Amino acid sequence: MNVLFTWLDWLWVAAFLLLMIGSGVLFYRLGKRSQSDFFLAGRGLPWWLPASSVYATHTATDTPMWITGIIYRHGLAGIWYTFFSAWAAISAFVSTRIFRRSLAFTQAEWNVVRFTGLGAEMLRGWMAGWQVFMNMFVLGWVGIAMGKVCAFLFGWPLWVGLVSFSSGCAIYVLAAGYWGVVMADFQQGVIAFLVIMIVSIWGIMVAGGPAGIAEKLMMLGETDRMNPFAFTGWWTGEFPAAWFFTMMVIAILGGFGMGTSIDWYPEAQRIQSARTVRDASYSIWWGTLVGLVRNSVWAVAILGFFVLFPGMTETSEYEMGWFRLGFDYLPVGMIGFFFAAILAIHLSTISSHLNLGALYATRDLYQHYWNPEASERTLVWVGRWSTLILLLGSFVYGLMMENITEWLIFALWIMTAGIWLPNILQVVWWRFNAWGYLSAWIANLGFSWLVVWVLPEFGVIPKLAEYQQFWLLMLLGACVFIPTTFFTKPESMDHLVKYYVQARPLGWWGPVRREAERRGLIQKDSPERPMVV
Amino acid sequence: MPLIRRTWTAAEADKWTREDWFVIVLSPICYFALTLGVALSFLLLWEGFAITAASIVLIVWMHWIIDPKMKAISEEYEKNQQEYLRDLEDSVRWKQHEQAAP
Repeated sequence: MNVLFTWLDWLWVAAFLLLMIGSGVLFYRLGKRSQSDFFLAGRGLPWWLPASSVYATHTATDTPMWITGIIYRHGLAGIWYTFFSAWAAISAFVSTRIFRRSLAFTQAEWNVVRFTGLGAEMLRGWMAGWQVFMNMFVLGWVGIAMGKVCAFLFGWPLWVGLVSFSSGCAIYVLAAGYWGVVMADFQQGVIAFLVIMIVSIWGIMVAGGPAGIAEKLMMLGETDRMNPFAFTGWWTGEFPAAWFFTMMVIAILGGFGMGTSIDWYPEAQRIQSARTVRDASYSIWWGTLVGLVRNSVWAVAILGFFVLFPGMTETSEYEMGWFRLGFDYLPVGMIGFFFAAILAIHLSTISSHLNLGALYATRDLYQHYWNPEASERTLVWVGRWSTLILLLGSFVYGLMMENITEWLIFALWIMTAGIWLPNILQVVWWRFNAWGYLSAWIANLGFSWLVVWVLPEFGVIPKLAEYQQFWLLMLLGACVFIPTTFFTKPESMDHLVKYYVQARPLGWWGPVRREAERRGLIQKDSPERPMVV
Repeated sequence: MPLIRRTWTAAEADKWTREDWFVIVLSPICYFALTLGVALSFLLLWEGFAITAASIVLIVWMHWIIDPKMKAISEEYEKNQQEYLRDLEDSVRWKQHEQAAP
């Protein structure tokens, strides 16, 4: 489809771009002061700023496509696929609190705060490299989604939408770093939320309102689509209850750990940019809550799209459903408003990942391994060069994406299954060490290939459902990382005590706590405040 | 002693207590209920409005429980933060990497 823009539509787009890029650039002076400013806004933000950034970052151009796809396929029950972000429910009050107290710039740096020695350094290097790569990948993925939207609307070649808007976004990320990101995210988040509400409610009304949707679903014999618990059985089918319960476990209990969801990594940056432990907790909790509300409204709008256009079988056709509600049905003059909101959605995600990838490259790779004595000015400039390299790399990835998406989604999956439990254990169990964690990563890499692809291909095991893969990979991983942990030495008690006094982790930390008490660093039953190590 | 404690010293707030566990249980319930409640409310189902209202009450209750403790933790921690930050900067520069605790 080619959408006809009037002068009013282009005015909306121009005004929004000016506002979004301008508000980011305005913070140039703050961003260039130091590494801490360029990547964490000086660790001084009130909770609602990083909260709006959490929401804005996780509202990407491909998010409505993904949610449309699952709701169109599964009905309202598909909403539980989006519930993975509920890891923040427990995390906000457990791992967020612990991570904020560690003060680590990144999850990679946290490894050397929690662990020690060669194993910790290997983990830091591995995780930093992986995160630079992953952020470039996400930038390419989200960027090409924008390319598809522009191709759908204006018939532009894919690269135009990919390159033009990501480049515009890079202006304020290069200028002001995280200050630019978070300030632009605030107004992008507000715009995106309002427009998502307007378009979704508009779409619901076009479909006949809630009563009309229910009536049409009944006529189509699809009333189960309004049931949020309409699974395909306990164990079988495309969406069994076993998968629902597995997702609940992954999401909710995952909050005790760090890195149990890929979203943890951008959130870790927001946690450290908050001015206090309390602000960090609330930013994660409220930012995620707004995202869940958004998903629910989207889901009902997609039910509306389903009754308007039932029977679509091609994913590429129905995944554009929510966009079509806006572009097909909004009145003249509002189309540009809608497109400008899509730009807000797009820019907020691109800016976050540009700055986050540059953070790992600068702090964990350049400074730690290349130039430990670099000045603050140098580090800010390295941050800018890293941002530029990530941007250019994302264009290459984006244009290759059709070929590599399947492989990289597999890579995302292997980050979850076998690493899920170690990501929790590293937070809650004092005896878990760097070698155990490292062995879990390596073992999972091998087991994932075997369980998901190789063994089913050779007929050794049947092709397993996703929930079965998760539990099997977790079990196989445990057979490696638990013996490895016990066969290698625990982290040094000095290091653990220092970490414990600073971070106060939850869980099985008895021997470390008693040692800290014995050294007089914390007092057993005294109300006096703990001493600093 | 009341079931929910709302006055804390810094050292007491640093410990994991019953209030934390209340919130660890309540928080996922709030998310689950609000996700479900909002979706059903937009379909104008009465269950949706009831679940949404219940989830809002739970959210308020949860913050009532945990906020005093979070404030106490934050106020205390911020006093020590500068020293911890110096340690972190030394670590990234490979100084005192194996610093021994006293």
